[in-house]
Amino acid sequence: MKVLLIIPAYNEEENILRVCREIEEYSSEIDYVVINDGSRDKTKSILEENHLNHVNLVHNLGIGGAVQTGYRYAYLHHYDIAIQFDGDGQHDINYVKDICEPIIEGKANLVIGTRYLDKSKSSFQSTFMRRLGSRLISFMIKCLCKQKITDPTSGFRAADKSIIEEFAKEYPTDYPEPESTVCMLKKGYRVTEVPVNMKERVAGKSFVSPWTSIDYMIKVSLAIFIDSIGIKKERRK
Amino acid sequence: MGLTLRIALIIVTVIYLFFILRAIKHKKVQISFSIFWILTGLVLVIALAIPNLVENISHLLGFELTVNMIFCVAIFICFYLIFNLNIILSKENKKNILLVQEISLLKKRVEDLEEKQKEKNS
Repeated sequence: MKVLLIIPAYNEEENILRVCREIEEYSSEIDYVVINDGSRDKTKSILEENHLNHVNLVHNLGIGGAVQTGYRYAYLHHYDIAIQFDGDGQHDINYVKDICEPIIEGKANLVIGTRYLDKSKSSFQSTFMRRLGSRLISFMIKCLCKQKITDPTSGFRAADKSIIEEFAKEYPTDYPEPESTVCMLKKGYRVTEVPVNMKERVAGKSFVSPWTSIDYMIKVSLAIFIDSIGIKKERRK
Repeated sequence: MGLTLRIALIIVTVIYLFFILRAIKHKKVQISFSIFWILTGLVLVIALAIPNLVENISHLLGFELTVNMIFCVAIFICFYLIFNLNIILSKENKKNILLVQEISLLKKRVEDLEEKQKEKNS
């Protein structure tokens, strides 16, 4: 099984090298590709100097476009599993095994690494507003797709070959995680969740205020609603 | 409509048509869009050439004032135009993203190949 880690990175000069070294230490069988989304800091030179496998986007595309580039890369090089992995050190590399398991066993097409599942002893649960937002989005998804997705905004996900192909062709750019999950559910792919641990950012800062959470939530709800209208259900095994 | 106003409008329309036709001639606008702009010019000419045409139509449709009908029609056309432009913009955006991704992936491939070549040579 060829496994690829897709690492979108935008201005991650403080984290990217450590993240890549962690991956190399974790397993030599796993490939990774850093998608440098037009960073304005030293990310590019760090990637080049240390010979980390990377793609430099010629123009900034935002997280959706960057991640899709990774899926295109995975599709081009015939990977069996592609895992989205943040370049800021939030995701724990030790859970890669867990997140791949349902795909290897043939139980799922798309696996989401979830922070909020009870079994998870996650050290980082994120703020109250974000959790509330996640709850509401997952409620919307349950209404629209009849399946519970506890952590629809999680960026730690694994995709099998069929999903890689779907994402390489079409990937939402506005709110990629929840939107793509809804699209795949609507198309009849099997989506499961696996509890993972997420760490707090080691360096750099993440910009989330209560207002942006509310704004985000409303727009995501609308977006997934619109997404779900356009898709005809295809039956799949 | 007074005579002075009519003459002023005719002059404006002529200038308008001149600019549109010039832009079309210099291929600044796609043919499919230029048809729309020629049509707007023609409608203006007809409305000015036939006296009381616009007044009669607006009366027939039940508008109290002629200007109301003109504004109404103009706003609808503007909405249609903006929406159309929005669709085109979204399409172009999608194409742009695809191009950036493909170029970036190609660049990576070329660089990888160059490196391999260098290793072979040395």
